[in-house]
Amino acid sequence: MKVKELMTRDLTAAEPTMTVRELIELFVRSGLSSVPVVNDEGRIVGIISERDIIEGALPGYFEVLYGITDMNHLSQKLREIENDHIEFYMTPDVVTIEEDEDDLVAADLMIRKNVKSLPVVNRDGIFVGVLRRIDLLKDLL
Amino acid sequence: MIITVTPNPAIDKIYWIERLCLEDGEMPVMRATRSYLTAGGKGINVSIFLARLNIETIAMGFIAGETGRALERRVRDEGITTSFIWVEGETRTNVTIVEHGHEARPIQITEQGPMVPPDALKRFIAQYKRALQRARYVFLGGSLPPGVPETFYQELTHLAHARRVPVIVNASGEALTHALSEQPWLVKPDTRQHPLGTPEEILRTGREWIAHGIGAVLVSHDITHDVLITPQGAWDLEARDVQFKNLLGAEDALIAGTLSATAQGASLEEAVRWGMAAATACAESEELVVTDRQRIEQALTKVHVHQL
Repeated sequence: MKVKELMTRDLTAAEPTMTVRELIELFVRSGLSSVPVVNDEGRIVGIISERDIIEGALPGYFEVLYGITDMNHLSQKLREIENDHIEFYMTPDVVTIEEDEDDLVAADLMIRKNVKSLPVVNRDGIFVGVLRRIDLLKDLL
Repeated sequence: MIITVTPNPAIDKIYWIERLCLEDGEMPVMRATRSYLTAGGKGINVSIFLARLNIETIAMGFIAGETGRALERRVRDEGITTSFIWVEGETRTNVTIVEHGHEARPIQITEQGPMVPPDALKRFIAQYKRALQRARYVFLGGSLPPGVPETFYQELTHLAHARRVPVIVNASGEALTHALSEQPWLVKPDTRQHPLGTPEEILRTGREWIAHGIGAVLVSHDITHDVLITPQGAWDLEARDVQFKNLLGAEDALIAGTLSATAQGASLEEAVRWGMAAATACAESEELVVTDRQRIEQALTKVHVHQL
């Protein structure tokens, strides 16, 4: 099957100039935990997740600490970056897949790159949806 | 691809009941014989119709809360691409009660919708501009939630025209008046709360709008009549011998049917006739959206057109 037949047809995305606070509000309201970052043309320029925000507030946290000992510290650090643009915290190198690719190519890419989802682009490189692992699993049943 | 904008979408809950008991002194408990839950709002209904005909469509608007999530899931399950802006609060739940024997006059209870703050409007415009790059048509329809200015449809029409994308506006009041200044391709005034008057008054208003550069005007003047006014002329379309079961969504089917036929190359006059057949097929069914070609073609035999 083609990726476009399986993908989640959702264009929820962030813009590079969105603030950290606005992104957290988007995550809370939508229930999403990561979104592609797109430019004015709809091309993907990055991806940003909850993890990127925590790492932005507490650099090295995931590698070193493995546990929060002081919530006030995290809260204070988050407030320090809440008005920053998310472009400073996003991952700019994004693995994407074209909507006309086969599901096998997508599954292989997800395993090799160890990602849970892939932003999907059309032939012109415009963001058109997201392929999640569950979209592939659902199709295999 | 066709963009539909529903600024104030809703989950629609429809109840069919045998008898509406509202006499004084009663503590009425009315048991529904059937009920139905669906994602709703003008643009959403248009998108559902188009998606079932395999026409690519993006649904846009503002959603909130658990109801917003339920709505988004239902819209996506129809094969529609979603591009909603999340705001605080709760998306509307609108209730319709259809009483046996009074199917042509359902009771509707609608909520106001969540407040849309300025930053959400800004994000919507950015997302809309991106979607316009791939759009063939734009449909703008329905009421505006709190916080959305009356000039919203005017701005969206302006932005679409900058990309040479034709726009259909289905609205009323100030939102419609402002949008008219941008001369949309097709205007369908929502006459439920702002009727345009007698057939003669509708014709006069429609011709005035055409003289001001509107592409075409489509007006419903009673349950079974529509008037189409274009620079080439005016037509009355009448659906005869309709067995009403459910009027909810019929107006949206009229627009969606017109849009789908236009997108497939029909002239506007032919497309509106097809749209009216789609609306008739919906009105004669308890389903909100009927896209079965055979049923619409059967309904087409009930649609009679004469030039005014």
